[in-house]
Amino acid sequence: MMYNNILIFLSGTLLIATIVLIIKREFSEWVQAYKYQTIVLSIITGVIGYITNNWEIYLAAIITFSLKAVIVPKILIKVTEKINYDFKIETKPYISTRMSLVVSTILVALSYFLTQQIHLGEDVIATSFLPVSISLLLIGLLVMIGRKIALNQIVGLLILENGLFLFALSLTHGISLIIEIGIFIDILVGIVISSILIHRIGYTFDNIDDIHQKPASIEYTEEDD
Amino acid sequence: MIRRLIDMINSSITLLLESFLVISIVLTPILGGILVTIFKKKKLVEIISVLSTTFVLFLTFLLLLFIIDFKKITLFNEFFYLDSLSMIILLLISFVGFVSSIYSVNYMGKQYQDGIVDDKHLVRYYQGFNIFLFTMLLVPMINNAGLMWVAIEATTLISVLLIMIYVKEDAIRSAWKYLIIATVGLSFALIGTIFFYYANIHDPLLQVQPEEDKINWTNMLENSKSMDPMIVKIAFIFIIIGYGTKAGIAPMHTWLPDAHSESPTPISAMLSGVLLNCALYGILRFHLISSGSIGPEFSDNLLIIFGLLSVGIASFSILFQKDMKRMLAYSSVENIGIVTLAFGFGGFIAIYGAILHMINHAIVKPLMFFASGKISQKYETKAMSKIKGIITIMPITGIMFLIGGLAIVGLPPFNIFLSKFMILSSGFSSDHILASSVLIIFLAVIFIGFIRNLVMMSFGKPKTQIKSGELGYLSIVSMGMLVAFIIILGIYIPGPLDILIHDAVNIFQQI
Repeated sequence: MMYNNILIFLSGTLLIATIVLIIKREFSEWVQAYKYQTIVLSIITGVIGYITNNWEIYLAAIITFSLKAVIVPKILIKVTEKINYDFKIETKPYISTRMSLVVSTILVALSYFLTQQIHLGEDVIATSFLPVSISLLLIGLLVMIGRKIALNQIVGLLILENGLFLFALSLTHGISLIIEIGIFIDILVGIVISSILIHRIGYTFDNIDDIHQKPASIEYTEEDD
Repeated sequence: MIRRLIDMINSSITLLLESFLVISIVLTPILGGILVTIFKKKKLVEIISVLSTTFVLFLTFLLLLFIIDFKKITLFNEFFYLDSLSMIILLLISFVGFVSSIYSVNYMGKQYQDGIVDDKHLVRYYQGFNIFLFTMLLVPMINNAGLMWVAIEATTLISVLLIMIYVKEDAIRSAWKYLIIATVGLSFALIGTIFFYYANIHDPLLQVQPEEDKINWTNMLENSKSMDPMIVKIAFIFIIIGYGTKAGIAPMHTWLPDAHSESPTPISAMLSGVLLNCALYGILRFHLISSGSIGPEFSDNLLIIFGLLSVGIASFSILFQKDMKRMLAYSSVENIGIVTLAFGFGGFIAIYGAILHMINHAIVKPLMFFASGKISQKYETKAMSKIKGIITIMPITGIMFLIGGLAIVGLPPFNIFLSKFMILSSGFSSDHILASSVLIIFLAVIFIGFIRNLVMMSFGKPKTQIKSGELGYLSIVSMGMLVAFIIILGIYIPGPLDILIHDAVNIFQQI
């Protein structure tokens, strides 16, 4: 039980980093917060690698750090450079910042409650990180549905992906490396594609809210005989 | 002594041939993609694409002979696993890929003539086409459940790229919707996969011991008896929500009509004909494991509920549809719902019917999309109210469109009648009478909606002055092949296909 304090400290830090992501209003701040969250995540991955004594998890920690804390933020910042500033700031979210803070604390409590229903046994890693990972998943979904602008859905997706990674790691102590690499590649390609899309949205739409409107390009009027 | 030697040589030759076939099926589309990138001329690119899909189809037929003989093939330290069920999916992918590549030459050629796409778009289209084929071919062959997830996610990403080939508002909007919804859905599928893996490595008395091959599908099926029932239940719910999103099962189908109607027509055909089946294949694999662990009732009931919901929602959406391609997209939701429902019924005839319906739908739906693509190119609209008198303007395409439409609602001389009849008869003869009766009502609603639109479009006097005549012979060749299969499969099922389906049904029966 010597790791207990460290593990609890780390999981708390990760939760705080996630909460910071929720309360920010601007895209560049989200990317910064995401960066810090991912750094905490890679430290956690390293610690799990140390406890389980598995070199593959160390490697996963290094990949997580270099890919998600360095490359992905750079891509996101570079792609959104030219986009209109209005597209990058959240002025009127569906769920207000204050409300989403309250909801996310409820979600954290809920995920701790849910995890206790699964019988995990004496597994230190799972008991300390599984609830955090599930709350990351839920908060990611909350961010995706609660905000209006399209860039936010990428941020929500990234939080979701981080939660998924931690979930897999804490429950199974590392699925095999080849799968993790596959997942990483998928994330990277997904980010690149969504950046291309964002870029196109930037010069096709006048207003970012347009993306949520229903397509109405075809006129369906009946012609008279 | 000599006999044993001969046997050894024989078996090693078979192994060598099998590995050669599997590897070349996977690598041919990649090679095609690379060649397309090198030769950027329009003619060359088209020829390369058609040749690569033809070669894949040829190799798949050779592999089919091995599968019929040996029932299952495992290669490269259990990395590839093929049995009759995955062979059927593989056959569908390579067949629809082949037909679509022939049709693409015609369709994209017309778009090129009209100035909608330029050389750069064309190269990007054929690159995407080949890579899309590659990712789909991987799905049924991989044994590792985690890597199968990676392949399915890769199909999403590459098809998003294909949808946004046209820089139009609607295309970008639907590509965005598709990307976000499918990625979130597939995250759930990954959670489900991890839960299944956890159930496999989990031992209440010991610490968790990660092992490489325990995520393999074959290993999970072997150990399914000793899995924790509680975790398996949670895991299967995640799987059916996750892969169900990709398979277009209601209520997670909302991305499907947008994505299918906005993408280039050959891609719509592939998305609808085979990509949905790939995702459904993922559900079926885990359905088998879950049935082995906690008995079939739990997953059967879930499949029946989701299937019936899909048919219901699709039926009322078809009734009020005004856009031709959106109507076809909703019809895909309906047919995937019927297949899901039939797998839920269980029993020999229902599962036979389900697999046959999968095959039939993958033949009929591309035909419908191909014909509708030609029609909308001719009339320059997708609104059904503006399309009248197809048969007088494009006689051959019109008749093929009519045949496809009559087949898809399930009229007798065509193939879908057979599979729908099997599914319904087994539903009424087993204890699923309520579900079958509701299904019949929904099918009647779909019949009304579909036939009404079909008749309105096919007959009557065309209003605007449109020059009559077909648009190119290659599209007619590709559609003609599909029509031939519709009629043949409506009359009788060829021997090898029958054996293949029988073997696939036996996989479900053994659990």
